[in-house]
This record gives sequence, structure tokens and C-alpha cells, in this order.
Amino acid sequence: MLKRQRQLAVGAVVAISMLATACSGGTGAGGAVSSSPSPDNAGGTNAGGGEQVELRVMWWGDQARADITNQVLKLFMDKNPNIKVIGEFAPSSGYFDKLNTQLASGTAADVFFLGGNVVDYANKDVLLDLTPYVGNELDLSDMDPAMIQYGTLADKLVHVSAGANARGIVVNTKLFEQAGIPVPQDGWNWDDYARISNEIAAKLGDGYYGTYNFTFEGMDIAYKQNGAQLYDMAAGKLGFEEKNALDWFGYWSKTSEGGGVVTPELAVSHPIDDPSKSLITSGKAAMNLIPSNQLGAYQGLTEDPLTMVQLPRGPKGTGVVFESSQGLSGYAKTEHPKEVAMLISFFINDPEAAKILGNNRGVPVTSKNRSLLEAEASDVDKIVYDYTSRVSDATKTEPFAVSYNPPGNAEFEKMGKTTVQEIGFGRKTVEQAVKDFYQNAVKILNSNQ
Amino acid sequence: MGTSRKSLARDQNRTAYLFLLPWLLGFFLLTAGPMAGSLYLSLTKYTLLSPPTWIGVENYARIFAEDDTFRGSLWLTFKYVFLSVPLKLAFALMIAMVLNKGLRAIGLYRTVYYIPSLLGGSVAIAIVWRQIFDGTGAVNRALAWLGIEGPSWIAHPDYIIHTIVTLSVWQFGSAMVIFLAGLKQIPSDLYEAAQVDGANGWRRFSRITLPMLTPVIFFNLVMGVINSFQAFTPAFVIGDGRGGPLDATMFYTLYLYLKGFSFFEMGYASALAWIMLLIIGLLTAVIFVTSKYWVFYGDNKEGR
Repeated sequence: MLKRQRQLAVGAVVAISMLATACSGGTGAGGAVSSSPSPDNAGGTNAGGGEQVELRVMWWGDQARADITNQVLKLFMDKNPNIKVIGEFAPSSGYFDKLNTQLASGTAADVFFLGGNVVDYANKDVLLDLTPYVGNELDLSDMDPAMIQYGTLADKLVHVSAGANARGIVVNTKLFEQAGIPVPQDGWNWDDYARISNEIAAKLGDGYYGTYNFTFEGMDIAYKQNGAQLYDMAAGKLGFEEKNALDWFGYWSKTSEGGGVVTPELAVSHPIDDPSKSLITSGKAAMNLIPSNQLGAYQGLTEDPLTMVQLPRGPKGTGVVFESSQGLSGYAKTEHPKEVAMLISFFINDPEAAKILGNNRGVPVTSKNRSLLEAEASDVDKIVYDYTSRVSDATKTEPFAVSYNPPGNAEFEKMGKTTVQEIGFGRKTVEQAVKDFYQNAVKILNSNQ
Repeated sequence: MGTSRKSLARDQNRTAYLFLLPWLLGFFLLTAGPMAGSLYLSLTKYTLLSPPTWIGVENYARIFAEDDTFRGSLWLTFKYVFLSVPLKLAFALMIAMVLNKGLRAIGLYRTVYYIPSLLGGSVAIAIVWRQIFDGTGAVNRALAWLGIEGPSWIAHPDYIIHTIVTLSVWQFGSAMVIFLAGLKQIPSDLYEAAQVDGANGWRRFSRITLPMLTPVIFFNLVMGVINSFQAFTPAFVIGDGRGGPLDATMFYTLYLYLKGFSFFEMGYASALAWIMLLIIGLLTAVIFVTSKYWVFYGDNKEGR
């Protein structure tokens, strides 16, 4: 009796344990509806032929972004009655896991958004080659050549930027006013940055900080300021030496000792990249590194006037370029590549769409839409335009390469941020942490080539 | 006579299998296939997006030879299991004994205490937990009232595990209901006899209640261990979803998930899943084997 019970129980144990595997297999795919199979491939030959076509589009972001994106998709459907577009979105934290799952099961959306990690997806051949549609369904005539170049990987156009931005220092001017310190100007250097951060914290007292710790987020910029870069795509290897990393991590470790840097605990509960929880918007931290298109989101959450200043300079300049913030890619297995190209073209060219989207994903990539938006810019937008034009001017004399994330970006990001915490929580010395960081970076890059 | 007993046994077997049928169907149609699939994938390099290529046991070799995160997550998960399961069971037993005193509205209490078990696994509760244990959350405000300055329970790598353990202990309801049923089964004449002999409360608990409850404890222990090993949601939501801060929420299941779905190493993740299956199986086997030394079935002839 007992024996049989035992067998049953063991069987149950095995079964229950299996659920773990089965469950994780299902995660993320839950929201995916397999695209309706339309067997007649002839449908793609003529978009205007009255054939009903269904496209799915997926992006990341908050509800505000979802609302305006859906509005634009609706506009597209009104103008192209034979195309039905279904929008899906996920918060940025789970977006790529969801996308990966859908790609693995062959149920990804026909059009989806990617960021600097486009390389990872281009390497895996899941992106639609849009080259044949350029000049026909896909109008890129008004787009900056550099942006087209950015989306062209291995001689194929696989990515069309949906907005451009430049990273910079967001400044909460109210905290500077309270501390009686003048708001910094372009042209400052890293010593200034450390000194000002510590002064702010010292003058405003307990619970106030000069700056977030953006060791990881600003790494690529810091390397470029010293003539290196994070990832050398042409050579397919890391673009920096361990020494570069040691200098940069060391700078932050030293600045943190002065008390001007947000503590690692606070950075966990108030993440650096989440405007809604940011210490910038709650008026506890004065400076942070942000992409310019996020200034609007930050300003929308606080009464304190915010502004943007160029990054402190290194030996070669600010290291910042005006670059794609994110863009659209088609799915290689889509059944309606032409319609995909039409939708992408509409998204970047249509003036009405541009008005709805504004700067949410960055400054428009076509010059017509840019002047359209600049004509009716809000106060926050004006700060963004002013900032991005200062960056553009600077890059005329001090050009920098556009950056791509290294392959295996998700794992690299996790590893890099953990390294920053290891130093912050005192688990490793800077030297040891950087040594491990460099080794791991090489390892991750090699296994994702 | 022998034959009729045999046919009776066969009859009983048939009935048993009939009852098991739905489960067996589910297992063979839904679970067995993916299981075999994941065993195959664990022997391949599979990036999710390109077809798997056979690499033999290399994934397993890498996991055991050079993966520090694997070791860290395994250690963390064991720590979680060995902290949360005993605490939860002790807490459940305590509440069950209080409720067993013959309270008037016992049905109401039983329901109220059971609710956390229903809600506990949900994302919403994990988010509420985040708020409560935040640096400026309810717990720290209560502590400040007593003049204690509490740390940030969810942001510091040393403390976050305890927040997650607390969340798990709070879901003591289902274990409690089972304990309550077990307590009701203990014949009251045992207690009466003990009282006559002058045994105090502690002796009655340790000599009657505990031994008589061992089958129930055994069941709760097995279920608790298996469930705790598979904890995912609390780590995913209370932490940053990436195992942070400092891998302090990098539970085994979360690591497996990240490897498979974020880092494009599904083959490696499958190998991790099989290792977890073996570990859970082994641990459960240990509990079963030792059970004959500590689980007391009242109907057993030898008394043990």
C-alpha cells in the first residue's frame, strides 16, 4: 500500500516538476495570436486590389505611447481600407522576451520596433530585407542618408528609424537654484561634473544627490570621448581596452565617495531609466543621463523646470551624436512584405502621423516632418530641438561614429549593471570588478557572434 | 480463493487507472512531448531563432564547470526553500492549532486565512509587497515610529530574500487548511488520557499532536519543497526582473527564463531545466526515504 502510494507520489512529483518547464515554455506567447493564415500568396501582388490584408504591429512603451501609436495606425487604415492593422504593445521591460518568444514560435508581428539591439536580430536573419521596396512602397527620399545607413546591415535595409535623439544631461534647475549653484553650460568637463554633483548634495543636505550613477548607460559615450568605443562592429569585437573601463568605473567610484551620487539602494527602487519613479522628477537628484526624446516624459511628471546640457567633455569631445533612438523592422516571414513597407513608409513620412506622434520616439527622421513639428513646438519640445541642434553643430567639428549595441546585448546589459552594483555595494574592488567585467564582455560577445 | 483475490485486485487496478485517465491523457498529450523536446534541446545549441545544432553534453559541462550564476542561483534557491518551507509550515500549524480550539466563527477565519494562498502567487500582490517593504514603505514607517531606522528591504541585496520569504510565509493558508483537517482526525481520547496522567500542554503537543500529524506534515513538506523550488513570480516582480539587485533575486527558475528567452540560449536553459528536475526529484526522494523513520501512520501494525 505504502509502496504504491510512493510510486504515485513520485509520479506526481515528476509531473508537477514538468509544469515548470511547460509553463516557462508558454510565457510570453500567451498574448500571441497566430497571424491568420491566408494561403493565397497572390494577395501580395497588388496592395490596392481590394484584397483584405491583416498586419500586426508590436512596440514597447507606456499607455500614452500606445494611444498615439494606435491613433496613427487607425489613420493608416482609413487611408488604406484594404489593410487591417492590429497593434500590440508591452512595457519595455518584458518587450524583448515577448518578441523573442514569438520569433521562436514563428508568430511574431509583421512589423515590430527595435532599438540599438537591431544587430542581434539582423545577425539571426529574422528581419525583412526592405531594399526591394525602397522608391516604390517605401519612400526614403526625405530621410537623412546617415539614418538609412544606420538601418542597413550586411548590405540589406532591415531597419527604418522612427525617431532620432541625442543623449544628454537632464538638469533639474530648481535644485540648482535652491543650492545657489549656476546651471552648468555646454563645454564643462568631468571634474566639473563630479565637483558640482558633490556640491549640490552637500548644500541641499541628506537625501539629495547631484547625479545618478550612469556608469553603464554612459559607457559607450565615455569610451568615444577617449577615442575608443563599446563595440567595433566592422571588426566584430569590443572597441575598448580594459584600461578604458577601469578609468570610467574608477571615476564613478571616486565621485560616489563624495556623496554626490545616488546610492545603489536608491537606484534599485528608483531605476535610472524609469521617469515615473525617477529621483529627477521627485526633486531629489539634480542630474542624469537621458535620451533627448524622454525629456517630455520627465517634464510631464514634475513642476520643476528641467533643461538639457551637453555631456561633460573628454579628450576628444562630448562623444554624443544625433542618432536613431528606435525604429521599425519587418518580420522576415511576413506574408505581406509590400504592405509592411507601406506601413513603415507611412509611419515616417505622413505629416498627420508626425503631428500625432510628436517627439515621443525621437525627433522625426524626415526633414519635412521635422520643420512641421518645429513650427508648432511646445516649450519642452523647444528645449529638445535646441539641444539636438547644438549636438548636430558640435558633431560637424567633432564627428563620432554612430553606436550599435554589441551582440548579446541583453546579457551584456545585465552583466554590466551587476558590475556597477558589485562596486556600489562594496562586494568587489573596482580593479577586480573591471577585470571580471572585461572578461565577461569578451565571453558574451564571442558566444553571440 | 487465491484467484478471486487476484481478480479483485485487478478490478481495483482498473478502477484506479480509470480515475487516473484524465491525468494520464494530459501527461502524454501535453507534457510528455515538450519534455522529450526539452531533453533533446538540452543537448543542442539553440538560439531560439536559428535551428538547433547538436553539441552533446556541452551545455551540462559548461553549467557545472564555469557558470558562477548557476551556482549562485542554486544556492539562493536552496536558501529560499530551507527558509520559507519550515517557517511556512510552522506558522500554518500554529494558526491551525489556534483555530482548532473551537472558535465560534471558525468557517470565517478559515476562509480569511486561506485567501492569501489564492492571491499570493499573483503579480498584483507582489507589487503591493514591493510598496510595503520599500525604503519609505509601511514597514519602515512602522519601525520609524518605534525609533528604528529600517533598511530598504527590497533594494538591498542582503535583505530582499527575506522580503520574498515573508511573502511566501504569508501564503500559509493551504498548508493550514490541511493541518486543520489533520488535527480534527486526532482522537480526543488520547488527549483525555494524557491529561489524566498529568501531561502538560507541551508534552501533549510533542507526544501526541506532532506524531499523529506526521503524515500531514509529510505531505505539506513535499508540496512545499516542490512549490518553493519553482518560485518565479515573487522574484521576478519584487526584484527587477533581471535577478537584481546583485543577483539577490536570481532564483533558479528566473535564471532559466532569462537564459532561454532573453539571452537566446534555449539549449542551455533546457539543460538547466533538466538539472532542476533532477534536483527536485532527488530532494523529494530523500524526504520519502527518510519518511519511514519519522512519519507515523496510526494504522500500522508495528506502530511506526
